Amino acid sequence: MESSENGRESNEGISVKEENILNFLDSVDGYLILMDSLSSTLRQGWLELASARHSMGASRINSTLFDLKLHPASTTLQVNDQSAAPDRELPHFTLCKWASSNNPEKYFEEAKFGEVELLKKSNSLRHRDISHNSEIQARSPESVGSPVTVDDQAEKERYKSLSMFGTLVSPKLRASQLSFETALEMLVEVSNMRASLLCAHDQVQKDMETATK
Amino acid sequence: MYGFEALTFNIHGGYLEAIVRGHRSGLLTAADYNNLCQCETLEDIKMHLSATEYGPYLQNEPSPLHTTTIVEKCTLKLVDEYKQMLCQATEPLSTFLEYITYGHMIDNVVLIVTGTLHERDVQELLEKCHPLGMFDSIATLAVAQNMKELYRLVLVDTPLAPYFSECITSEDLDDMNIEIMRNTLYKAYLEDFYRFCQKLGGATAEIMSDLLAFEADRRAVNITINSIGTELTRDDRRKLYSSFGLLYPYGHEELAVSEDIDQVRAVMEKYPPYQSIFSKLSYGESQLLDKAFYEEEVKRLCLAFEQQFHYAVFFAYMRLREQEIRNLMWISECVAQNQKSRVHDSVVFIF
Repeated sequence: MESSENGRESNEGISVKEENILNFLDSVDGYLILMDSLSSTLRQGWLELASARHSMGASRINSTLFDLKLHPASTTLQVNDQSAAPDRELPHFTLCKWASSNNPEKYFEEAKFGEVELLKKSNSLRHRDISHNSEIQARSPESVGSPVTVDDQAEKERYKSLSMFGTLVSPKLRASQLSFETALEMLVEVSNMRASLLCAHDQVQKDMETATK
Repeated sequence: MYGFEALTFNIHGGYLEAIVRGHRSGLLTAADYNNLCQCETLEDIKMHLSATEYGPYLQNEPSPLHTTTIVEKCTLKLVDEYKQMLCQATEPLSTFLEYITYGHMIDNVVLIVTGTLHERDVQELLEKCHPLGMFDSIATLAVAQNMKELYRLVLVDTPLAPYFSECITSEDLDDMNIEIMRNTLYKAYLEDFYRFCQKLGGATAEIMSDLLAFEADRRAVNITINSIGTELTRDDRRKLYSSFGLLYPYGHEELAVSEDIDQVRAVMEKYPPYQSIFSKLSYGESQLLDKAFYEEEVKRLCLAFEQQFHYAVFFAYMRLREQEIRNLMWISECVAQNQKSRVHDSVVFIF
């Protein structure tokens, strides 16, 4: 009786360890896919910027036109403090895009890769599938909140950001702006994915140390 | 009278026409572009260009090279050639050659004013100005707060002074006003250049009318597309279009109310010379429009060399060199960013 109970406990322990290993491998897979997407999005953004420069001319797009006047940031990053939320093990990054300078809390969009979603993904086997990642990319944060109001605000802020190059800019420059905006969202996702990856790695290491003892 | 230039043109213009035709033969060929498109690094590009007329301008540049360095040195060559021709030219060719640079002057004025608005250092801005558009008092632009001061303090003594009458206000300079100022100045410049060429008459008037009309039409299309989704009103947009060209006036009326690229396409396809341009694009696409317009422009500029005894060859040569420099800029960017598969997106072959 005791031996069968011991056997059952050891089987459960092994399956938990295997699950931890799978979670770790899934996290690595997700991280690598995100890094690959980030790299290709950045490459696209840089080429679109070069294309805009080719179209509009070097005198209209160059670094000397950057605005050095003080102005509020249109996009901010929030990091959840672990000491403030001790039950949350992972550091968590949240992007607040195109926040209005007058009403910073009224209009904001989150590019949130929530802990709940992380757990959901960790509970299922992941396949190295680009379409899964494109699903993440296609998820637009502008779908959060009232769509029309948030979209209008986002468009106004985008227009304001580009106005340092003039008010009549080429569609290529706007496309480049969108690419870098997408890349920024991906960076935040990469950071959150890395946090979960490191957490899974720690778990696997603990299991290995337990096994060797 | 048109047709009798052969009797008198060579007295004053023959030498310089021969010079410019000689320069034209130094433009890069398709074989040169094929070699450049296969380069792996910017050093390879420098090595290939060393066998061309750009060689002396790039040979002393240290590694690592940047794309902006290649563009700057190639532009210096164009400036040297222009200055050599200008110092040899007599009236009215000298005025004609000066007209070619007013567009760059407008760009420089706007660059300085915009940069000053953004609290940038004037010296830094002067380094980024196009050398063909420099004038003596350009640095003083930084002190102006509105367009009246801009005119009164600086531009009244420059060739751009007559173009300011349409945009002098006491409003402070901001991004929208600067953009409207840029386009209003360019509109006035094009119209003035057009009138000057008409006064010259003959083959110059005929060929330059076609080239400037194309420029005016292309500007109208670009202003329309770039202003879609912005705060620019329809009336303001209409005011920025030139008062000549194939699209004037009915095409301009339709472009002024266009809200997307497909409506612009519908307007342009009514004009046979522009049907071929828009037929290369798929619906809703505007990315390849620039290349299509550049290709059409290059075709028209090359045709200018088919006739003799006119000044349009000088304009055509300057524009072809600028296109060549744009090509080199694009090829350099694709090589530097390791995106050689995209190099043919924007390269326009001249010969």
